[in-house]
Amino acid sequence: MEGSRTVLIVDDEPPILRFLRAALETAGFAVAEAASGRRALDLAALRKPDVILLDLGLPDMDGLEVIGRLREWTAAPIIVVTVRGSESDKIAGLDRGADDYLTKPFGVPELLARIRVALRHAQRRREDPEPVYRRGELVIDLAAHRVWQRKKELRLSPLQYALLSALVRNAGRVVAQRKLLQELWPEGGSSPEALRILVHQTRHRIEPEPARPRFLKTEPAVGYRLEVPDDE
Amino acid sequence: MAGMSALLREYGLMVGVNALCTAVCLLASPFTALTDLVMVYLVGILFVALRGQRGPSVFSSFLSVLCFNFFFVPPRYTFAVDHPQYVVTFLVMLAVALTISHLAVRVRVQAEAAKRAEVAAETERLRSSLLSAVSHELKTPLTAIIGSASSLLQAPGAGSGRGREMLDNIREEAERLSRLVHNLIETTRLESGAVRLKKEPYPIEDVIGTALERLDQPLAGREVRTELPEDLPLVPVDPVLMELVFVNLIENVLRHGAGGSAIEISARPVAGALEVSVADRGPGLSAEPVERVFEKFFKGGSAGGGMGLGLAICKAVVEAHGGTISAGNRPGGGAVLAMRLPLAKVP
Repeated sequence: MEGSRTVLIVDDEPPILRFLRAALETAGFAVAEAASGRRALDLAALRKPDVILLDLGLPDMDGLEVIGRLREWTAAPIIVVTVRGSESDKIAGLDRGADDYLTKPFGVPELLARIRVALRHAQRRREDPEPVYRRGELVIDLAAHRVWQRKKELRLSPLQYALLSALVRNAGRVVAQRKLLQELWPEGGSSPEALRILVHQTRHRIEPEPARPRFLKTEPAVGYRLEVPDDE
Repeated sequence: MAGMSALLREYGLMVGVNALCTAVCLLASPFTALTDLVMVYLVGILFVALRGQRGPSVFSSFLSVLCFNFFFVPPRYTFAVDHPQYVVTFLVMLAVALTISHLAVRVRVQAEAAKRAEVAAETERLRSSLLSAVSHELKTPLTAIIGSASSLLQAPGAGSGRGREMLDNIREEAERLSRLVHNLIETTRLESGAVRLKKEPYPIEDVIGTALERLDQPLAGREVRTELPEDLPLVPVDPVLMELVFVNLIENVLRHGAGGSAIEISARPVAGALEVSVADRGPGLSAEPVERVFEKFFKGGSAGGGMGLGLAICKAVVEAHGGTISAGNRPGGGAVLAMRLPLAKVP
């Protein structure tokens, strides 16, 4: 079902490579493996992978440098793999051009979900954006500038709508705090604090239970993620 | 008393150096000008001063002037002086000697301080790289275990019944172990001072939301009741560490609050602080006094207790935020863990 999509796994731990290969092949992906940064750069050029799964702790090179070198010539989505507690690495990875990240330890459903989201966004870059986001009872229509929750139209402020629209365009993918600040307040003059308040208020409009959000999730210290829509 | 005898040794050394200088000067005096002998004494003073002790080096300055006067300035072998110009020589010699010893001592002291700072920085680097190495070594196998179990669970035709149950068990317990390892590492980090809080104003609901999300699976089927007014003031917290606090508070209820009663999380502003509590209607806390639950390695008594790190780390993080945490039993049954987080940024 995934066609002949290739995932390049970059990790120097054999036990991790082993389970990633098993999980991805079971899901129908072709897999290429690299245990070092240099090998990753070679294989990326050779195999032209559709997605790159990159652990930042490599034996020969800084993982962030690998992202930089890859971004010089390829737009293939890069998903960074890190451990908890390395939020600054995640932010740096996203700044260098990574598309998303996965925090160790992770389960296979989470892994496959991230890869599918990355593939979808890579494809969408070439096609028209999806105009309507649907998840459960939430509907966001980007073309009509309207939002419904349980069939009832919500009245949102322009900023609340702009936030949702930025997240819908990246549905399923983390959007870094810095990127949202630039997009929502292009002339500057805002703060992470204002963004947090905006997210908080938006949650109280769209989430039935704002303390346990089902749509608009926080990625602590990094940014926000709108959950993938139902049809994907 | 070790310092005292070390100081006495320094004084002894100083007298020895002075005697050596005098001996050299006695040998050299038939062939050199009187003023050149001053240089010999200054070298001796410099040597003493470079050892970094102020007392012996000042003393050495005075002793040198006296020896120079007694042995070399005519009339020799008396403290008497022929010409008043020698008094000027003495004064200049003393001034130079004191300046040398002052500067030399200071250089030495600064060099030592710099070295100490370097050693401290090196220890700090070592500690934090050791911590991340340990963290990596422990988390890699856990990632492989969790990944492999969940990979088997996903595989088409994954076992049903008992096989599936065992795989679920492996995955859930490995995830618990992973949280424990994380707790252990964060506790060590906090205690060693290797962690710097990145405090920023957050809606507490946001932090609670990420903790509930992380515990999504252990919480499955358990009722969570939150009472968090939309207009609560923002509170300055380190979001990652504060999430860890809520994860531990909630996990504690899950483990000890047997009976499946609802988990109640609420927050309200009190004078200058935000009071946040996590409570249940379970059997309550049996510790005597209840504050003992925050002690490291204190086990709650009931079956399936953890390592007793969870609440200790809550206390450490809350206190690092300038707040307080307390435990108690609720009227009508159940336990409550409540913290107060200051609203104003504390330095």
